[in-house]
This record gives sequence, structure tokens and C-alpha cells, in this order.
Amino acid sequence: MRLPLFAAAYLLLRTTAAVYADEAWNVDYHYALLGQPQQDTTFFHQPSSSSKASLVYTLSDKGVVGTVNPRDGAIVWRHALAQNVSQHSRGFLRAAEGQDVVVSGIENQVAAWSAADGRLAWDLKTDGPVEDVEVLELDDKLATAGTKDVLVLTGGDNSALQRIDGASGTKKWQYQIEGNDQAYQVSASSTEVFVILLHKTMLGYYKIRVVSLDSVDGHKTDEYTLSSDSELATQDTILSVGANSASPIIAWTDATHTTLKVNLIGSKSTASFNIDKHNDQAVEKVSIQAPYHTNSLAHFLVHYETADSHWADVFHINLSKNKIEKSYSLPKLSGKGAFSTSVSDANVYFTRISQDEITTVSSASHGVLGRWKVQDLGVAVGASERVTPVHAVSELSIKGDSISAIRTAVLLSTGDWVLLRNGNSVWTRPEALADIESATFAISSAVEELAQELETEAHSNPVAAYIHRVKRHIAELRLLPNTLITLPQRFMRGFLGTSSDGGMAKDTFGFHQIIACATRNGRLIALDAGSPDRVLWSRQAVSLKTGETWQPQLTSHADIISLEHDGVKEHLAFNATNGNLIMTESRTETTVSLPNVGYTFENGGLEAKRLDVENAGSIWHFSPNTNENIHSLVPRPINDPVASIGKVLGDRRVLYKYLNPNVALLATTNSAANIANIYILDTISGAILYSATHTGIDLSAPIASLVSENWFAYSLTASASSESPKGHQLIVGEMFESLSPNNRGLTGNFSTLETTGEPYTLTATYQIPEPISKLSVTQTKQGITSRHILAYLDASSAIIGIPYTVLDPRRPVGRDPTKDEQAEGLLRYAPIIEFDARWYLNHQREVLGLTNIITSPALVESTSLVFGYGMDVFGTRVGASGSFDVLGKDFNKFQMLATVVGLFAATVGVAPLVMRKGVDSRWKFT
Amino acid sequence: MLLTTLYALWASAAVASAARLTISVGASPQLPNPASLSASTHAVLLGPPGVRYDVPLRRDNTFLFPDIDSASYLLTVHSRDHQFPPLRIDVEKTEDAASQQTIEAWQTFRGNEWSNKGPSYGSAQNVAKFEVRPYAQKEFYVERGGFNLLSFLKSPMILMSLVSVVMIFGLPKMMENMDPEMKAEMEQMTSSKGPPTGADQAASTIQNSVQNFDFAGWMAGKTDSGGSKKR
Repeated sequence: MRLPLFAAAYLLLRTTAAVYADEAWNVDYHYALLGQPQQDTTFFHQPSSSSKASLVYTLSDKGVVGTVNPRDGAIVWRHALAQNVSQHSRGFLRAAEGQDVVVSGIENQVAAWSAADGRLAWDLKTDGPVEDVEVLELDDKLATAGTKDVLVLTGGDNSALQRIDGASGTKKWQYQIEGNDQAYQVSASSTEVFVILLHKTMLGYYKIRVVSLDSVDGHKTDEYTLSSDSELATQDTILSVGANSASPIIAWTDATHTTLKVNLIGSKSTASFNIDKHNDQAVEKVSIQAPYHTNSLAHFLVHYETADSHWADVFHINLSKNKIEKSYSLPKLSGKGAFSTSVSDANVYFTRISQDEITTVSSASHGVLGRWKVQDLGVAVGASERVTPVHAVSELSIKGDSISAIRTAVLLSTGDWVLLRNGNSVWTRPEALADIESATFAISSAVEELAQELETEAHSNPVAAYIHRVKRHIAELRLLPNTLITLPQRFMRGFLGTSSDGGMAKDTFGFHQIIACATRNGRLIALDAGSPDRVLWSRQAVSLKTGETWQPQLTSHADIISLEHDGVKEHLAFNATNGNLIMTESRTETTVSLPNVGYTFENGGLEAKRLDVENAGSIWHFSPNTNENIHSLVPRPINDPVASIGKVLGDRRVLYKYLNPNVALLATTNSAANIANIYILDTISGAILYSATHTGIDLSAPIASLVSENWFAYSLTASASSESPKGHQLIVGEMFESLSPNNRGLTGNFSTLETTGEPYTLTATYQIPEPISKLSVTQTKQGITSRHILAYLDASSAIIGIPYTVLDPRRPVGRDPTKDEQAEGLLRYAPIIEFDARWYLNHQREVLGLTNIITSPALVESTSLVFGYGMDVFGTRVGASGSFDVLGKDFNKFQMLATVVGLFAATVGVAPLVMRKGVDSRWKFT
Repeated sequence: MLLTTLYALWASAAVASAARLTISVGASPQLPNPASLSASTHAVLLGPPGVRYDVPLRRDNTFLFPDIDSASYLLTVHSRDHQFPPLRIDVEKTEDAASQQTIEAWQTFRGNEWSNKGPSYGSAQNVAKFEVRPYAQKEFYVERGGFNLLSFLKSPMILMSLVSVVMIFGLPKMMENMDPEMKAEMEQMTSSKGPPTGADQAASTIQNSVQNFDFAGWMAGKTDSGGSKKR
């Protein structure tokens, strides 16, 4: 009978839920990410006029505004401005010299953030989407002393330009744009404000319309249209330069990039320049770098790129003659490069970042002022991959005529953001991890090989197994010298408690699993869950064109990671240890041999079909009630081991669990009536095992759900009514074969296709302080360890581990638990669960924007590995019942040794006494 | 962290007059200086389904909801290091003046019916300012119990070994210090092998039962020598 064993195990495995002070920051890891920084929203800036040190500010493609300390790459502050940023929504981030705020604009909001600490200074809602934001540098009679006003251009049906007070965020004037022209950009010289509009002609080409405004009252002073007939087919070839340069320009090319046209905003003439070809390769991209300062020299740089080379021309604007002249060219270099502009006083410097060096020139002459070799970027790349810079920002420190130091923050083609100080990598931020689409745990090859060898030994006859084992040990003898050398060191480290648990190859506890992540830009990035401070390997899995998306699905089997995606119907397999591509096969060839059931959402319902039979009709069909939509479907995890088929009660009787591997939780919603329905489905027969209806639900709040073992959990937000509580709820249900102990009810061992036995379901509802946007559960190897429900709290940016015993639906309601229930660990039911800060797996870290949490069992039963992704990446190890099979940090080695020594001393001391007593008892007579 | 009102009803917001609510963070023993709060601190105003406002902390330690509709709201302040009490905020149109809105705030209790209101934080017309204070600091970490000599000595293993040490060293000394008559008497008692008397028999049964104690049976919940309890 195994039950007493489990009873003992149960009593042993009392749940512990806490982050230990000595494990925090060591066991867990966190990449606080921003997303990929954008070229024109990234800059070095001094947070206040008094501070000397500058910070790097950026507004990323994920709509996150944030600041990074250039010294160590740590986030100073950040805010996620938009939840669902589409690829096309443009964001703007501007800062003005000597101001202590940075101004962001995205979607329908403009906000000024305190540059040093990220507090909000003011914000503004706009009617239309924000098309451009500029800080007005000019000092007119409307300006408030000490602050600089902000110009906000909004598009949409009512496009308008507003001048916003830089201190309070109130509107000073508004210019309503007449006509249906598309608002494109706002630009300011030292005297005037210009609005650049795009006028679409009948033939589908764009014409550039420039409206100049009086900066004090916002009245139109002039308007003209640039003759760009049939040149501008798309907006992409406009390379205009924004506000605040000494002489703002607007530049564009034709679709084939053969001529560059430049207009000084305010003058009606355009200058035209031919773009040369290089090695008969057409120029693919032209971009402009120019200083963003009214008092700097009016110079700008045009950057040309072909498929395999790049170069640049520097132009000077003659302000007195209103003429643009080409000054000099920077040589053509093979490969891609990036340019950045820096300003010191009035001087302008251009820094060129090519694949192996950084050079800086002054805008006035082509003499190289500084040249630094780029040795090692410190990023992991695929074997044949060349890392190229995408864009960069630089900060120079200039002593006299020479450049004494340069700091450059470069975004690389791998999605890493790197800071180079004089060409040496200082820090690397793997920003590509902010876009993980799918992730999976895998095992390294070394561990897998050993596991396989042990497997062969276990399954062959004893003699063969013995020979195999001896051979294996002889082979391992080769490693003996190395092991002997490191032995004292290992012993010492183990004793002092400084060692980790061996490397990836000798992964005794299974903590060093490989986490493979597929990112939105088509890369595969692998992290080591045991030493996560660096990226294990990174490679381009598929090449995607810009703007192309894919839906990757990563799965793993031992040391093989397989990737399926919809872009090209193929199935790729990679080695988990080094990321090498093992095989490629087209997905159509894969045949399903096992009887498999597939599920599709069809006609608003859920359809189940057998996959192994061609053209099979549906097995069952679930259609929601009228006016209802399917919200989500969450199945029980495939790998969900259960140690015991029953729950042992305090009096050692057993409640049998309803264990069915094919269970899924389906949520449907009726948005008109604010109703959410929850169904537990048997996915083979289509039977509804349990259902619940919740009324008065806020459906704009997330509904997270989870099924595991014989229980399910879901969370929703209820709206107020005078009798019922308002707020967020967590509902837990547990299914049993029968509710009377020691009775398996009618079901017993059953087939879902033959019997219709319904489980007995107990549920409990708890009020929780904040909404849960994602639920997950810890997994262990055998399922003996008690479980934690992992919940992501969006509002607190935290992952918490809630012990299942806290949520147990069998908690007695309205009375104190009996002795037997106490023995089981049941507490009296209380309707409110306060999220104890000690349940926060992330403790003081703030984990932003997680969309999924995956778990994997370690080799030791006590521990489950947790990995969360979405925007930030967070991982940790959870021992839901304490570390009962690993010597944790609570094991005091000194105390153990002292006890051994003490006992030895006591034995030595007592031995003569015992001896004398033995002798005395025989020889002494009294 | 979201600056926007996530699902705000713009249309109705435009029609209704602007109810402007400011929540300031006051100093408390848990938070002597509210300026030390991190920039990620934010406040959420949760209204009827679909209405939710989420604003970040401002430079003057306040949360500003510039324009809120008439409804009953739950206000939650989320901070990394501190816990704030939830508030119920009601915004209602004032009956006599259609353009006026009354804003009123109470403490509310999680898990209680919505009409169960706590002490009032005050009420105001159109523009209101309430102050919240954190009631607790979040404790994230658990310290492990360190080595403690007293608890070490209190552990049963150590107590048992100490008793046995006392027996080994102390008993011979006691025997020596006894007067010879007592000693002789004891010797006689231990070595007496006379015929069993009634008292002796009873003693031997106890001795027997102690020697033959069914430890396994007792562990398995056996109550008496009869049948074992149903398992």
C-alpha cells in the first residue's frame, strides 16, 4: 500500500512560499528591457542643466520610454506608454538643451517626464494620433522664461498644430489645418514654425505642402507647395530633417534613389543632386544625419547604402545665399555602417560606425579626428553571420582640437544594443528578447548523452549493461587528471558556499536547462537558466523582410529544439547546445501516426476532428450561446505528472481525484451582457464536465485560466453592485471522482468515450487585490512536490507564486477546521487573499509586460524552473515545498562539521570511562 | 504604468463636465518622504466595465485624473515597496446644477459588499483632492533562522545525550556517596530472585508489556490489543 508513504510525504512536504534573502538576486535573473531603440528617438542627454553625466534616452519600437545609464547599461526609469503598439504607430521623444524634462508623443498622448527620475511633469490627450512633437527652441514673447514650449502636430480627421506650455502642459494656441492633406511633420527655424503636409494627387503621388506660421499667435503667414510631381510615390523616400537646426531642410529622393532633392524650408527652390552608383549596385537606402541645434553649424550628412557597401556625403548650407553645397565625401566601405551626429558648442561632428572601426570627422573638413578599432562587440552570433550596425548615437568629449573619448550606443542587426567606449564594448543589452514570440526549455547535449547511456544500461541484459558501464567508466578515466586538479578548489568552494552547481555539462540538479526563445525578428536566442547573465547562443533562424511577421512555435525534445512557423511551411530542428541546424523538412511531409485530435475555431465554435483520418468529420462541436464569443481555451499541460491518484485526508481515508488527461478550460464571453461562462470540457468526448456563469464581469479586464492535475483556476474582474463586492476574483475548482472518502464512485477506471461519469467539483472564490493577466503552475519531475500557482500581476509588474493550499476549495467555510482537517493543512476559508509580498518571485525587481510564463521540472524533485517573457525576461527556481532534496543555503556546513568533531571528542573522552566501568564491574566487589 | 485611460469612453467624457480628481501621497511612518517613491508607482481608477484610468506618479507626489465620468470607482495605488489602502470614489452629477459633479471618497474593504463603506475621506464639487498614505511596507524576504545555541541545546537529541552523560558520570558518584546500608538494600533489591509475589507479578506484566511494545502497531494507529482500526 503506497498510501501511508504519501501521507508521510505529504506531512513532510509542507508548503513553503517565500523568497529567501540569501537566494534573491542569485537564483533569479531578470533582463529589464525596453525594446529596440529607434534611430530618431534615441539620444544622449543631461538630465538637468546642473548635471555633467548624461544618460541615454530612448523611445523603443514597443512604445516604452526609458533611460539607460551609459556606465553600466542599467535602467534608470522607464514607462510603457502603449500597451498594444502596432508596427506602424510612430513614437516621438524630444529633449531640449538645459531642460529637465523629456517629451514623448505616441498614439493619442503627449507627456513630459522628469528626465532624472521619470516622474510625470504634465500630460496631454490629443484628439487625433500624434504625428510629430518638437521642442520649440526659439525665444519669443509668448515663451515662459526658463522653459521651452512644445509643438504637437496631430493627424486624423482634424489635423492641427498646438503650441503647449513647457511648464504646465496647457495649450497656448492651436492652428487647425484646412483641407484633407496629411499632417507629416513640424519644423521650426530660429524665427518661424513650419508645418509640412503631404498632399495626395489624383495619380497617387505625394506633393509636399509647407505652411509657415507665426510662432506667437499661430496665424498662417505663408504657404507653398514644392514641385515634386510624380517623384514621391511613397512617404518612405522623404528624408526630412526636423526642427531646430539652424536651417531646417526637407529632402527626398525618387523611388529608385537616383537623385536627391533638398529644399531649405522657407525658400521655394529645391537643389538637386545626383546619387552615384557603386559597382553597378543601386542605392537601396538614403538617410540624413543633421544636428538638432539652432546654434550649431548648418551642415548635414547624407548616408547612402547599397546591398554591400555604404558611404556618405557632407553638405554645407550657405545661409546668406540660401544655397546648399556639397563639401566632401566619406569613402565607400564594404558592409553596412551607421552614422551619428554630435554637437559641441557650434561645431558638428559626424561619427561613422562600420563593422570594425569607429571614426569621427568634423563637419567642416574630412580629416579624421579620432579612429578606434572595434575589437569585440560581446554579442553571441551565428557561425557565418556578420553583425552590422543599424543605427547609433555618440557622445564625444573634446579637449582642444582632439577627441579624448567617445561613447557610442549602437543597435546591431542582431537586436542587441551595445555601448562602445573608445571602441571597447562596455555593456550589451539583448533588446531582441523583448520580442519573444515563443520559448521552450531544452536540455544540453552532455546531460542528454549521459541520460541516454544510462537508459541503454537499464534496458539491456545485465552482462551487456555491466560491460557497457565498465567501458563508460574507462572512458571517463580520461577526465580524471582534470577532475583531480580542480578537486581541492571545488571542495573549498563547496565548503565556503560560493560554488554554483557545476557547469552546463555537469548539471547534477538540472538547473542548467537551455531556454530557447524565438523572437519577432526571426532569431533564435538561447539562455542558460543556471547562469543567465549571458546569451548562450543566438542565430538568425529565418530571414524576414522588414515588416514581415511570423508565428513561431518552439517545442523541444531532450536536446533538440524544433521550430514550426507559418511563414514558410517548414519544420526546423536545432541542436540546443550550440544552435546548429540539424534538419529541415517541409511540414506537409510529416504524417500523424497516432490517433490525434485537432481543434479549430470554426463558425464561432470549437470543432474537434481526428487528424489521422483523412477528411474525417468532426467528432464533436461546441457552439457558444447566442451573442457569445470564445474567449480562450486552455488545456491541461501535456507533461503534468501526478504522484497520487487520491488526496489523503487527516484520518487517512482517501478522496479520489478525477484525473483525465484530456481536460480543457474554455471561457466564453458575452460582451453586451457582461457575462463570462467557464466550461471544463472533456476534449475527447466533448462532454461538459463543469460549467459556471459569472454575471457583471468587466470583460475589458483580463481573464486568465489554468488547468492542472484535477483542478482548475481562473481569474476575472467583477463590477460593483451594492450587494456584491467589486474587484478581482480568483476561482479555484477541484474535481473528485466522488465526494465520499474511500469511494471511487461510479467512474473508477473509465473511458471518456464509454461512460458519461461526471466529476464532483468543489469550487471556492477568493477576492484578490489586483487583476491577474496570466496564470501558470509549477511543474516538478514526479509531481510529488506541492504546487504553486504562478500569476502575473500586470498592475504591480510582478509574478507571484500562490501555494495551492491557500486556494484549496476544501477549506472549511464558516467553521474552524477539525483536527483531521488541520492535519491535512486546511485553513478556515477566508474570502480575501492578500498577496503577501513574500510570494513575489521577483521580489524588488519590476518585471514589465509579461505575456507568458513557462515552467519546467528540474532533475531534482523539489524544484521547478520558471521563465516569463513578453517584454521583460524573468526566470527563477521555485521550490514549492522547500529544498528537501538539495542542500540549500540553510544547510550550515560549519555546524555539521562542529557536531562531528564534538561527537568524536566526546567519544574519545568517554571511552576510558566506559572501559574502566566494564573492568570495575567484573573485578570490584563491594 | 499606462498613461492612457485604457478603455476610456471618450465620447461621454467630452459631454460630461470635467471632474478633476487629485490623489496626493502623504507622508507616513512607513514612508517619511513621498518623493522617494519610484517612478513606476501608479494609480488605477476602476469604474464600471470598460472604464479604467491608469495614471503615473507626478513630480509633486500626486496622481491626477483630469477628466472622469460619473460612476462609482475603485481606486488602487500600486507601488513597488509600499501598500496603500483601496478607496471607493463616487462621482455623481449634482442634482440641482447639471454641470456640477460631486466627488466623494471613502475607504473600502476588499471582499465586502460594495455598499459597505469605511470612513469618509471627504467630498468636493468638480475638483477634489484626497490624500492617501501607505499603511505598510512590503516585506519581500525571509531571513533563514541562523544558528542559535539555546535552540540547539533545546533540541531533543541534545537533551537526551546530556541526560545520558549525566547518568554515566553522575550515577557512580551518587552510588559512592550513599551510605552503606542503603547500598546493601539496593543491591539486594536488584539481585532478589525469590518466589514471585502478587506485586512482583504485576510489575513483571508491566515490564513485559513495555518490552513487547508493538511499536509498528502503535504507529499504525492500533488502539488496544484487539482489532486494528479500519484503514
